[in-house]
Amino acid sequence: MYTNKLGDNRHYFLMILLLPILLTACVVSQQWSENYALVDGVKTNDPVIADGNLNTVGQSQLKKGSGSLDLDRWQNSESIIILPEKKKVYRVTIHSSNLQDFQLLALNTQGEWDVIHDQQHNKEKVIDIRLKQSVTTDGIKLLVRETTDDKARRRQNSKIERENEVTSDGKVRKGGYVYKITGPQTAPAMIAEIALFGYADAAQ
Amino acid sequence: MNNRNRTLQIKSREIIILLVLSVVSSLIIGCAALQEAQQKREKRMQEKRQGKHFLLSASKSTINVDPTPVDDKPHGESDHYTLKFADDLMALDDYDEALEREVFAKSALVYMESLYDSMHNIFGFKPKHKIHVTLYKLFRGSNRHAITGTQYSYGNNIKFVTGIEMHFPMDMYEKHEVRVHELTHAFTNIYFLPTWFNEGVAVLMQKEYAKGGMFTKFDNLELHLKKDLNGMNELENWDGHGAGGPLTQWRYAYAYSVVSELREKYGNQLYIKVFELMERDQLHQKLIGAMPTSFLVYYMSQAAGKDLVPFFQNLKFNVRKLEKIDILEYIRQLNVQNTGGH
Repeated sequence: MYTNKLGDNRHYFLMILLLPILLTACVVSQQWSENYALVDGVKTNDPVIADGNLNTVGQSQLKKGSGSLDLDRWQNSESIIILPEKKKVYRVTIHSSNLQDFQLLALNTQGEWDVIHDQQHNKEKVIDIRLKQSVTTDGIKLLVRETTDDKARRRQNSKIERENEVTSDGKVRKGGYVYKITGPQTAPAMIAEIALFGYADAAQ
Repeated sequence: MNNRNRTLQIKSREIIILLVLSVVSSLIIGCAALQEAQQKREKRMQEKRQGKHFLLSASKSTINVDPTPVDDKPHGESDHYTLKFADDLMALDDYDEALEREVFAKSALVYMESLYDSMHNIFGFKPKHKIHVTLYKLFRGSNRHAITGTQYSYGNNIKFVTGIEMHFPMDMYEKHEVRVHELTHAFTNIYFLPTWFNEGVAVLMQKEYAKGGMFTKFDNLELHLKKDLNGMNELENWDGHGAGGPLTQWRYAYAYSVVSELREKYGNQLYIKVFELMERDQLHQKLIGAMPTSFLVYYMSQAAGKDLVPFFQNLKFNVRKLEKIDILEYIRQLNVQNTGGH
């Protein structure tokens, strides 16, 4: 009876010993892959955001405008990375000095962009995003909703001016004050690097 | 009987094997066809996606930056560019420190090198000289005018490029479509093209390749035509970036519309073929002064496989149909005048 109990305990000891080994094995096998944004054949709308150099700074780019300042002034900017082949992405890191509110989108098989992450009030300079669910895609887009430089850009590109009027006898009549927009009201995100990772085993 | 049964058995076995083999092979072929169709579909999707955006590949160029150079040396140098900050820019808060200039110069050269590679892929040729870029707060008192200047010399009856400079006020440099416009000039200026065509191609690249805004395309060229007092197309009086005036916006838009319409009619490779034909003949180098539009139309017609003189005459361009002998005779006349002969 005693021997049997000892036998049972041995099994428990063995399991307790094996568990950390198994866990370690799992962790070791799930190392991050190479940065998919740096592989040959990657295309971006600003090559500086994926050049592997944190000492260079690129910008999110304004979408193609209508040509009308009225329509385009509030336009969001975006950074796009197109991979040469589909990859399973689990983790995205963004190095940016002014990114505040943004969305991450992934390209689906229909060529549409699906939102995979939404973040607001960011204050970090290095944003490390672990996706809740992995996404298999060959395109990632960062849609910039707000940057910490937007207010300065608005100040720079708006002014209040008096709208004077020239009368028929050539005299200038002082007019009322009007609010004039002279350029875009949103600033681009300054991005040193965007890196995309999967798990090392999934990468092969 | 036994023999007959055995033969039947062997035959039926052979038939089964053949059937199995044919099913397996058709499955394999089917799978391969499906895979091929899937690959084609993915390629189409990728092209469609890339068509919507202006995308660039990273360049492998070498970049060296010195944020505080001496003896008027550039702040940065790469395989195809030198980069300088003008004094008025360095006085600004964003560029007055060495580290700020270093980061900016490196980043700018990474972008410009990628753009250079991409344009080289499109055109199939590139300028022989490095492009010297200078960035300003204001260039010639304005933050709205970027300029690419190509210097050339003339000797032994041949015109040749001696240097290329680009001048950007920072407000213009920040617009990627303006960089594309100006870099197009740096590439195509080696052909000494008529101004209207040079600007038309630059706006075409800016709008249709770089997906930029700014200029609209006229849907009806005859309706939007503007003529000078001689009844000729106003575009032919355009002599460069510096020419301001009320017609400037129309000139850019009209030149672009002409170039774009011909490209739509005769294919994406039309202008690449024009440059290839010019390169083959090398006659553009023998012209003194600006290239006449008739000279350009001679090559355009060859590239399009159709006489384009009526198209241009309809739009009141001052053109006539040329043969190569006409061009050679024109060059001979110019050279005789140039050397003081009779």
